[in-house]
Amino acid sequence: MISMPTNRDENWRYANLRPLAKARPEAVDAQAAAANITLPPLLPDYERWVFVDGRLAPHLSAPAFDSCAKVLDSRAGGEEFAALLDAAIATEGVDFALARVNGARGEEVLYVAPPDGTQARIEIIFVATAAASAGTSYPRVQVHAGRDSHLRIVERHMSAGSADSSVNGAFDLALRANAVIDHCRLQNCGDLASCFDTLLAHVGERGTYRLRTVTLGGLSTRSTILVKLAGRAARCELTAASIANGIQTHDVYAEIEHAGAETVTRELYRGIATDRGKLGFNGMMKVNEAAQGADSEQSLKTLLTGAGAEAAVRPQLEIHTDRVRAIHGATTGKLDDQMLFYLLSRGIDRRTAQTLLQWAFIEDAVSRVEVAALRAEIEVLIAAQLNEVSALDGLLGKP
Amino acid sequence: MTTLLDISNLSAKVGGKNVLQGVSLAIKAGEVHAIMGPNGSGKSTLSYVLAGRPGYEITGGSVEFMGRNLLTMEPEERARAGLFLGFQYPVEIPGVNNVYLLKAAVNAKRKAEGKPEVDAYEFLQLVRGKMKLMQMDESFLSRGVNEGFSGGEKKRNEILQMLVLEPALAVLDETDSGLDIDALKVVARGVNSLRSAERGVLLITHYQRLLDHIVPDHVHVLARGKIARSGDKQLAVELEKRGYDWVLEVA
Repeated sequence: MISMPTNRDENWRYANLRPLAKARPEAVDAQAAAANITLPPLLPDYERWVFVDGRLAPHLSAPAFDSCAKVLDSRAGGEEFAALLDAAIATEGVDFALARVNGARGEEVLYVAPPDGTQARIEIIFVATAAASAGTSYPRVQVHAGRDSHLRIVERHMSAGSADSSVNGAFDLALRANAVIDHCRLQNCGDLASCFDTLLAHVGERGTYRLRTVTLGGLSTRSTILVKLAGRAARCELTAASIANGIQTHDVYAEIEHAGAETVTRELYRGIATDRGKLGFNGMMKVNEAAQGADSEQSLKTLLTGAGAEAAVRPQLEIHTDRVRAIHGATTGKLDDQMLFYLLSRGIDRRTAQTLLQWAFIEDAVSRVEVAALRAEIEVLIAAQLNEVSALDGLLGKP
Repeated sequence: MTTLLDISNLSAKVGGKNVLQGVSLAIKAGEVHAIMGPNGSGKSTLSYVLAGRPGYEITGGSVEFMGRNLLTMEPEERARAGLFLGFQYPVEIPGVNNVYLLKAAVNAKRKAEGKPEVDAYEFLQLVRGKMKLMQMDESFLSRGVNEGFSGGEKKRNEILQMLVLEPALAVLDETDSGLDIDALKVVARGVNSLRSAERGVLLITHYQRLLDHIVPDHVHVLARGKIARSGDKQLAVELEKRGYDWVLEVA
């Protein structure tokens, strides 16, 4: 029996865990093939893998003929599959509990392994259709990026229909020396869905892991991100944008461990909570004794625009060496009065001015999404989330 | 000539302090007025009160702008009615680009006037022409509002916005501060190009040198929250020679 996290656990205080407790834990049985699924347009040069309720949907997928990805089935078992199970996940600790459940319940794993010196672009779409009473879906991706490889991943989470789907995903990545991964994640599930995920990354010497996440959908979402900068001069850039409307809760725990010397982290979080939305971002930066010359920057900001909106932003530093550069800043606030007055003084109405400033605030993070077509799509979604598509029209989709 | 702005015995408080203590000033169409004065005399406060910045409490007097009670209007209404404030310290708004702001501002004004939205192509042509006058590179249009601009670029951008919006009255708060002589000439050329029989300009400045390039019709000295002295452009020359103490003593 795996003991599940509760709000009493240190790193889970702000998560909304109720949907998780209510959902049926068994994997969703059969794929809802009949569900009406509309996928976003293909991204140029990206192959596509689509999973519906955690299971591969071959008819919706478009893998490259020489793809470095394949789906492994846990029911078939075998050594290859066993070798994939991450040692960290198998260890104790409540932060890994959901990943362990994923490992125990999930049946399919997308295994992505670009060989040494190669490049690949892959889009992975997880579509949730089933109600929580029908079970939980367990998306699982494992990435082994070879030396000097460059992998670009676009990961999407979306809903077909308006079910209260329960999703518990796990993503683990290992980067060998000089490998680069650009990983963009867009979570835009339906209003009633709950999305939990655990992401583990292990970055080797001079490897670079860039993770950009945009979280817009779901009633309750929680990402647990654990990145280990293991090799010398390994680098992590984590950018997260989040908008919580209505009664949404978006919670993130991000722990970056600097284990190797001269390792670098750039972390940026921008969250907007409107109405009674709730945001949590707990950024833990650990610098080990051996990580001399480590360099970390954290900039965590939230904007509250609703009377009942809440945000808990926590930058944390745990440093065990003297030779380190660590900068961190965190703010929670309202719109900047000077910026607002500047826009008003140009004749722009108050509501548009407020929306523009919210846009500018979140754009600080979204502008870092490298894939232009995806960024344009995200900007349209954000404009809709801010309820101001027309006012923002002139700013959307500009590469 | 019609009166654009009529300030009568205006008093205002900010942070519990009486900063304006009975300012009276009338600007007619076609006129350029300069307000000079030592630091802390209330110059910037006057510009903010006119533009409607929150945090300023009006304790007495009145301001009429083109026949309307300016003080009861929202800042955005004042702008649409034709009042423009050129900021001393323009704020940076990354994420909102310059061309968007210009267009949104122009369309807000046109909407208030019951006119249709500006044609995108014609608008761009107009903006390009004004940018040339202000010696600004076109790449600036796609940059965030004032984002990473030097002090001089920010001031030029203020004047560009003014030229595009074509206000009836422009209040320019220390537009000359932080400018080298070449930039000052560019800014002055921009302001002079807007001078016409229908418009008014209120220049707020600490130094006389701006007035060599934008020659005012009237010069006022603001001291201790009041207009201490008014005159023509000679007054500015005299102030440069004798300093503000001279006015304060006489007052």
